Amino acid sequence: MHRRNFGRLLAAMGFALAAATAMTPAPAIAQDAKTITGGFDVGPGGFPGNFNPLTATAGFTWLSTYYEPLVIYSADLSQIEGALASEHTISEDSLTYTFNLVEATWHDGEPFTSADVKFTLELAKNADSGSLFAARLADIASIETPDERTVVVTLSQPNSAFLSVLAQVMMLPEHALADIHVAEIAQNDWWSTEPVGTGPFRFVQYVSDQYVELAAFEDYREGRPKVDRLINRYFANPAAAVAALKAGEIQFTFAEPDDAKTFEGNDAFRVIEGDSFVVNYIGFNHRSGLWDDVRVRQAVMHAIDREGIVASLFGGAAKLANCGYVVPQFVPEGIEPYAYDPEKARTLLEEAGWAEINGDAPISWLTYYNTPQVANVMAAIQAMLAQVGINVVPRALDTPGYNGIVRGENWQDFPLVYAGLQNGPNPASLNVGLNAAQLPPAGNNIMRVEMPDLTAALDGAMAETDPVAAEAKWQEVCRVMNAELPWGPMWVASRYGVVSSDLVDFVWTPAPGGGPFAAHPEDWDIAQ
Amino acid sequence: MLHYILRRSAVGLLMLLALTVLIFGMLRLAPGDPIDAYINPSVPMSASDLGALRVRLGLDQPLPVQYFAWLGAAVTGDFGYSIQRGGEPVLPLVLGRIGPTILLMFSGLLIATVAGIAAGIISAVRRNQPTDVGLSVLAFVGISSPAFLTALLGLYIFAVMLRWAPAGGMLTPGAPFSLTDLLAHLILPASLLAIGHGALIMRYMRSSLLEVLSQDYVRTARAKGVTEFWVIVKHAVRNALLPVITLIGSTIGIAIGGAIFIESIFDWPGMGLLMVNAVLRRDYPVIMCATLLTGACVIIVNLLTDIAYAAVDPRIKVA
Repeated sequence: MHRRNFGRLLAAMGFALAAATAMTPAPAIAQDAKTITGGFDVGPGGFPGNFNPLTATAGFTWLSTYYEPLVIYSADLSQIEGALASEHTISEDSLTYTFNLVEATWHDGEPFTSADVKFTLELAKNADSGSLFAARLADIASIETPDERTVVVTLSQPNSAFLSVLAQVMMLPEHALADIHVAEIAQNDWWSTEPVGTGPFRFVQYVSDQYVELAAFEDYREGRPKVDRLINRYFANPAAAVAALKAGEIQFTFAEPDDAKTFEGNDAFRVIEGDSFVVNYIGFNHRSGLWDDVRVRQAVMHAIDREGIVASLFGGAAKLANCGYVVPQFVPEGIEPYAYDPEKARTLLEEAGWAEINGDAPISWLTYYNTPQVANVMAAIQAMLAQVGINVVPRALDTPGYNGIVRGENWQDFPLVYAGLQNGPNPASLNVGLNAAQLPPAGNNIMRVEMPDLTAALDGAMAETDPVAAEAKWQEVCRVMNAELPWGPMWVASRYGVVSSDLVDFVWTPAPGGGPFAAHPEDWDIAQ
Repeated sequence: MLHYILRRSAVGLLMLLALTVLIFGMLRLAPGDPIDAYINPSVPMSASDLGALRVRLGLDQPLPVQYFAWLGAAVTGDFGYSIQRGGEPVLPLVLGRIGPTILLMFSGLLIATVAGIAAGIISAVRRNQPTDVGLSVLAFVGISSPAFLTALLGLYIFAVMLRWAPAGGMLTPGAPFSLTDLLAHLILPASLLAIGHGALIMRYMRSSLLEVLSQDYVRTARAKGVTEFWVIVKHAVRNALLPVITLIGSTIGIAIGGAIFIESIFDWPGMGLLMVNAVLRRDYPVIMCATLLTGACVIIVNLLTDIAYAAVDPRIKVA
């Protein structure tokens, strides 16, 4: 064979191989069953790979498609409504909660009864089960079941957060779990192989790191779901999920703000914007010795052009926070707005003696946020603080790295952080991060805030279960936070989900931890 | 030969032991542990609950105690349970991921080898002609493009824009298994994985073949009237393949590294995705087991390469 012909032969073989591979058709999703596929565990509200609701710190949007709690937040997160408890009453002393249960059946056909509620709550408040609710349910003094449809829970002290915590406690079947030793229950494969709930969908299979498949629960008390299957596909990151959404492989996902913008004006998709209920703050480590003088903390606030950052880096999709809250009913009139005033910041620093406290020595500024948006925000703030003489050096870590450092005792490792803490829908969420009684290891007050006025205000609000009276108490918390600045509150940003326009009656909101909220998955449908 | 294999195996075992010490130490030097990975910093949690979990998992024990407890169990084949996956046994979990990774890696290597060798031969035969220049430019682009960049670009162009292939995963969720479905999901990540390797193999093959083509025995073969096709295939290519085989074997480790990127971007359920997730969530038992098995694979493949090298070239003696 001539050399030229030989080359042609090889080239032809190469082209044939390439053509054969490129022409391999991508299979369509099976058309015989109505299936909604989404990235339900993508983003900060998701918890892919976790199937045990007792050990969940997030992922409740998905978990609540096959499990259900007694009570649940409404879809707009404005109030708590009934789920497996059709109604509940609270005694005048705020210590006794009586729940009337709906008639429901577990996915395996067994009836749901008050015994299941008692079993679940006892399991959830038992730390040996691996439950992360144990401390939050520690106020439960007794659980009584006068009949199969009634549960009476008595608390040892009033707890305004109790119903909010219950909204995340998914009811579990006693008949399926009672025989497993408590200490082994968290490690049991029941959760990912044959879980049984009461929700509109029942568990079919989990394909490791790929997806979870559910099927319609034919006997669901609110009627059979309109779609046959629900699939939760796992993605390594939100960008991959957005790519799959654009490729038509899934119909819903959480999206980062920059990705969400790319869907604007595209009729094939609907962008859902919602309040994150997470207040972002600059956390001052109160044991570092740098931030003891309130004038220094005030200077940090005045040095930052928050309005400019929200306008330019958040595209206006964030609300400025001057305390831990932005919801109008918790923010009193007349609090300090901390307007951008670098000159005032310089004066405050000079009065406080910043040159002697730290001067221009670099201050490590930690965060666990690894998005480009936050990197830009921190760079902007770094430049603004440098203008008044505070030299911060941003440092982004992964979540375990961040948690490992801020729960430690080496104050010089985290003199300053950029973080977020859930501030709603239940305002009591802030207590664990600010109350002096919540210092690690007991609680999550990682910035070691020890302010008696703030602790007193939080304690007062936590004990108030009357919603109207509680608003005034939470306003007092806001007022103290605004005056004493345990953190430098920044803003509450919006979060986004993108859904295919083919989906009908699909409800999603970017609730912290994924909710849960009354999404009514049984009503979700696909347009023909 | 047997003595050589035994000696290399013993060295390999020592290397694996050193690897476990290294990985174990490095993991513990990194801030944060599995419990810290559990906490969403913006969600209010009780630290005391998490502390109780830490004790239950034995993470409060001194490091040497933790290491020897792991090693003692590991030599009996017990690699423990995944901390972050509800107690899933580690060994079946990791073994289950080897198949998809091998499928992806060897598909990529196969494409890279076939395309690289073919392109290298064409380039050498057409030396300094436009075909050679064009292929060389493509090869340099391939070599200098980082895996994550080619993977992201490939994903965007072929999956999102052109929709020629699925955007990720190994099988269509919820659909029954089919070979077509698997191939459809495999072809894009495997091809993207092949780019860097194929380019490297092409360059090696070209230079190696050019060197061989100028040897006396090739000229002799031509003088004896052997056709150009057989001169290249029988006399030149076989000898030119020797350094290419070494290259393919010695870059298996790099291929695993590339597979980690590709698997993360394409959500391919292999060792790479497993390890990335395990590191991000500080799932120590999974990281240790996966690292040990990956290290063992690299050592075994290198050993096999040396043996293959000796088999292809009888002049080489292993001692």
